[in-house]
Amino acid sequence: MLLKAFFGLACAAILLFAGCSRPVEPSPTIAIEHEVSPEPPRVGPATVTLRLAGAAAKPIIAARITVEADMSHAGMSPVFAEMKETEPGRYQAHLEFPMAGDWVILLHVALPDGRKLERQFDVRGVRPN
Amino acid sequence: MLGQLFRWRYARPLLQAPLLVVSILMILHGLFGPTLAPKNLATTLSWLHFRGVLVLVLLCAGNFFCLACPFMLVRQLARRVFKPRFTWPRALRNKWPSVVLFVLILFTYELFDLWSSPWWTAWLIVAYFLSVLVVDGFFKHASFCKFVCPIGQFNFVASTLSPFEVKIREQDVCTRCHTKDCIRGRREPVSDLVTIRGCELALFQPSKVGNMDCTFCLDCVHACPHDNIGILSRMPASELMTDPIRSGIGYFSRRKDVAALVIVFTFGALLNAFGMVSPVYAVESWLGRILHVNHEAPVLGLIFTCFLIVEPVVLLGLAAWVTRKWITRAMPGSKRGLLPLAVRYTYGLVPLGFGMWLAHYGFHFLTGLYTVIPVTQSALANLGWPLLGQPRWTLTGLPRNIVQVIEIGFLVLGFAGSLAVTYSLAEDDSPDRPLRTFLPWATVCLILWVASMWLMFQPMEMRATFMSG
Repeated sequence: MLLKAFFGLACAAILLFAGCSRPVEPSPTIAIEHEVSPEPPRVGPATVTLRLAGAAAKPIIAARITVEADMSHAGMSPVFAEMKETEPGRYQAHLEFPMAGDWVILLHVALPDGRKLERQFDVRGVRPN
Repeated sequence: MLGQLFRWRYARPLLQAPLLVVSILMILHGLFGPTLAPKNLATTLSWLHFRGVLVLVLLCAGNFFCLACPFMLVRQLARRVFKPRFTWPRALRNKWPSVVLFVLILFTYELFDLWSSPWWTAWLIVAYFLSVLVVDGFFKHASFCKFVCPIGQFNFVASTLSPFEVKIREQDVCTRCHTKDCIRGRREPVSDLVTIRGCELALFQPSKVGNMDCTFCLDCVHACPHDNIGILSRMPASELMTDPIRSGIGYFSRRKDVAALVIVFTFGALLNAFGMVSPVYAVESWLGRILHVNHEAPVLGLIFTCFLIVEPVVLLGLAAWVTRKWITRAMPGSKRGLLPLAVRYTYGLVPLGFGMWLAHYGFHFLTGLYTVIPVTQSALANLGWPLLGQPRWTLTGLPRNIVQVIEIGFLVLGFAGSLAVTYSLAEDDSPDRPLRTFLPWATVCLILWVASMWLMFQPMEMRATFMSG
């Protein structure tokens, strides 16, 4: 009886996680180029620059972008920053890497037409001062 | 109230069931959830909360993780279907297999950066469940716990410092007892069938000493017809200060395998912490350059060899050599081998090693204490059930400056514990001049403690790209 209950629970949980997660939204044709300075990155202040372009390489203006920097290890404080548009399609944020190691930058993008995008890229080997 | 709960026959499954559910959720989230470690329950719970709670419970109470072990619940359920037929091979009835597995886990943790991969973490948990089912599916008793499980061995060694122990209340009651149900199991009078299991780890309560090899499974508590066994308080580390014959173990001083386990436990604690500070990358790059290798495995293998073989052999060998010289000078007739001396005093390093594990795991746990909240919020939100609201990623944990003080406290406590244990052993060996016998081992403790303190003050650097620069 207990055995059946256990396997039933396990199967239900697998179906739940595998079947009920949100479907992946089709990715719109948005090109995102990123740059992190200083290069190589070091502990301390850093600048993240993005270029957003849509169809026919047309710059996307007035997007709202939040940058989230996470370490590759769980439990470390993430760093957040709002990006500012410095010129059409070019966005910039200043953030601070508090620790050396591998970081992952998550971009939460809200496009002017209301669509939302999530992108991530790695900043590997942030060096100690 | 707790006593009543533990006396209840189903106390163990009651504690195991929630952990089993959590384990299943961790596996599923690890396999199907976010790939970023800080966003996933598998990595957050495994490498922050489980390890942190484990060492703190071991310090403050006892081996309660083995009591609530979810792997054993699955084994129990599987054994209703598959009855094991074999006994564990005689040649492997020691700690050598688990020492090798312990090292292998530490090695794969660094090589594959398990802490940064929810997917690998999930598979590690799955592999653990499968190993339990295979080993205990073929072999009788608690073969997996006693001879294989690396987490269990960690708990056994660390719980020698715990303030609680499963032990008898009154020796007289055991002397008068003829049925020995605590080891044989309680049986039906006519059929002789076991109705309540006795100790599966071959620990006979009246001659059991300390927590080594005890999983707190409570089988003996339930089997004893006289209610003479319980979870009772004792002085932490007291079992390391003496060397009596121990049921199911023998003499500590004659168990080279257990001493090897203690070495991996102690020096592995430093090694594990060394893998997370900046100097390790400089050392790796330097070794990679002089060896002309680009792959991490051989370089890591060399570092492991230095930490787990060369360093212990040199430090313990030198201390044993000096001790032997002084003992021989004081008692010209006595002959003490180097290896038996080294084995005997190795147990004195347990508090230092545990202090380091506490400092390291405690740091991650306390600085990331609340991170489980946004990760759970996010997991539920991704399933379309934002029951706990939107994830608050800014929730992390205690400030680092406070945690650092706690870390130093653990290291000082470990150092003091090691000094106390080694002095007690030295008193036993040289009642007239214990200080002289104690001095070489105190020096070893001091060296390891200074190394631990140095490690704690190094800048942390967590990379999944060891050799890339």
